[in-house]
Amino acid sequence: MSDRPDPLKVLAVCGLGMGTSLILRMTTETVLARLGVPATVENTDLSAARSTQADVIVGQGMHVDELTGAAPVVVTVDDFIDEGALEARLRPALEEAGWL
Amino acid sequence: MTPVAAAFAPSVADWREGTRAAAELLVGLGTAGEDYPAACVAGVEEHGPYIVLTRGVALVHAQVEASTREGLAVLRLDTPVEFGHPTNDPVDVLLAFSSGGDHMAMIKAVASGLGAGLADRLRQAADPAEAERHLAEVLDG
Repeated sequence: MSDRPDPLKVLAVCGLGMGTSLILRMTTETVLARLGVPATVENTDLSAARSTQADVIVGQGMHVDELTGAAPVVVTVDDFIDEGALEARLRPALEEAGWL
Repeated sequence: MTPVAAAFAPSVADWREGTRAAAELLVGLGTAGEDYPAACVAGVEEHGPYIVLTRGVALVHAQVEASTREGLAVLRLDTPVEFGHPTNDPVDVLLAFSSGGDHMAMIKAVASGLGAGLADRLRQAADPAEAERHLAEVLDG
């Protein structure tokens, strides 16, 4: 795939886009920093996510149907606090995209 | 200082009652209006139990309204309640917050608190006053 966008534009998504997704955004920022990937992470709600251009979307498993196709890389995670669990999903997804 | 509140309850009938009861703590604090608990329930009805953000912990909240300002509360249940979340049920720690618009610092504090064992400290608190101290400590950094 193409060169990794720099910075990578990442959306952390939940239903309302104000509380739960903010926590996911913080976990995502920590994991991307650990992976050494320069990124801008924003949090937003489901409907805004579908109309916002992004390279990566991170959201909850229950929202995967609504998020699929909204960005080149869509990663779901069930635990928004668990940095290890998110890294385990994000790393292979970024590798598959040729971005890691 | 962000106002905090805590309450313990043996059980609730269902996630709706638990969500309402957690949000009512914010109404009691005066940081949310009387419509807030119903708005918190409606958010989950519309988008699913995504507010159950880690094992056993829900983050009850709704849109910022004119009547809301920043507050943080916890309802702890002796008997956990099912939200219908695929992996994080059942829930015994219902955190609830209200916001005046910019809640970034508060949520950042809650997120790092949860990463550092806040949920278990709330589970082990001897009484609501101790749980309130744990919330206040997290917010004070």
